[in-house]
Amino acid sequence: MHVRALGSAHALPATARGTSGHVQPRAGVDVAMERYAAGDDAAFATVYDALAPRLYGYLLRQTGDRATAEDLLQQTMLHVHRARVRFIPGAEVSPWAFAIARRLFLDGLRRLKREPRAEGVEPDARASAEPPADEVVHARELAVRVDRVLAGLPESQRAAFQLIKQEGFSVAEAAQVLGTTVAAVKLRAHRAYQALRVALGDSVRDLQGSEP
Amino acid sequence: MSTPPPMAVAPADLRSRVLDSVARTPAPARRVGSRRRFLIIARGIAVAGLVGVAALVHGPEARGRPLAYVAELEALWVALAVVATWAGVGRGRSMLGRPASWKVAVAALTPVALLLAWLPVALAWPATLHDHSGLRSHVVCVLMTFAFAAGPLVAFARLRRASDPVSPRLTGAALGAAAGAWGAVAHAVICGYTSPVHIVLGHVLPVVFLAAVGVAVGDRVVALRAESVSRAIRC
Repeated sequence: MHVRALGSAHALPATARGTSGHVQPRAGVDVAMERYAAGDDAAFATVYDALAPRLYGYLLRQTGDRATAEDLLQQTMLHVHRARVRFIPGAEVSPWAFAIARRLFLDGLRRLKREPRAEGVEPDARASAEPPADEVVHARELAVRVDRVLAGLPESQRAAFQLIKQEGFSVAEAAQVLGTTVAAVKLRAHRAYQALRVALGDSVRDLQGSEP
Repeated sequence: MSTPPPMAVAPADLRSRVLDSVARTPAPARRVGSRRRFLIIARGIAVAGLVGVAALVHGPEARGRPLAYVAELEALWVALAVVATWAGVGRGRSMLGRPASWKVAVAALTPVALLLAWLPVALAWPATLHDHSGLRSHVVCVLMTFAFAAGPLVAFARLRRASDPVSPRLTGAALGAAAGAWGAVAHAVICGYTSPVHIVLGHVLPVVFLAAVGVAVGDRVVALRAESVSRAIRC
């Protein structure tokens, strides 16, 4: 959710952290995939539990449609599963999985020649069902506005911003996912941030301290 | 990580659906893949070897170069082909492969490096700078280099099939250049023409062409594709 992108992740309830109910440490994903590649079939469930909530949120933001996000998530996980045979020991799983998800989304989009529908996403589709406090309501309204601004940006800027601010990737990891340089990712994210600041004014001033 | 990763509520039944799909489509573990990769590379080399045998029997006859010239040129070009293969085909330590700058460098610099490696060898044997090659011999060598590179290119493309979600065209260009380097290595054994014009047009230019062919190979073979995504989005 964009609220979290604006630096208030800690304000959200812990129950919003996915079906698995807890956050997997990054290294845990990598270790689980390593075990899966080595032949431990049961480790795939751990890989799924670690990746699915983040990937689903990302895909939901991209597509604005739950059924499509589910289909893309399923395909992404199947690609991860099929790549077991050539998994590189010690490789990071998350940037790779996000790159697959992004490619599948763009591929489908290109075939349809249709623009993403970020503004169609219901804010509560991405968060918990707990009763919202006033700040949360305000934050959700802000998130919808952020969604609209992001939807109007070029895909490269939107992707850089989302990967860093919303998915929690480092600039270097986002550069890997996008297949570009760290400097280019910084520039794209900065431009997206500037566009948000122009569009939303003071509402995004909290971002100032967290620019890449 | 700059911020904690956000989470979303994925449908409860999606997990079981994905795990069921995975169970229905078994994928081999990594140790099986190692054997497969070895077989793919062996077949690629075998194809190049067969083309070489055919070329030795029916190929161009203009040989007569100093043996040391051939040995030095082959040693340098083999070293370059190994480096191009390592940098262009290998993925390094990331599942996303090497950075785009590496791939561009492999595609662009491999032909240049082959030419630069040939230069000191040619200068050491100045007599080799002159020959009677013409357009026909240039064209024959371009085609022969393509023929020698076909096996490695197919092998490299199979190794990287549906594996690159980020920059498959650049990966393909790097694969093409690496395969072209092996084609140049193989063809240099049997081609007796040694003039600068012939080396550039007959041996180095095909590597550039193969890098361009690799772009198409990358787009069609190396790229990771959606299967039912567009159908799903449409629904």
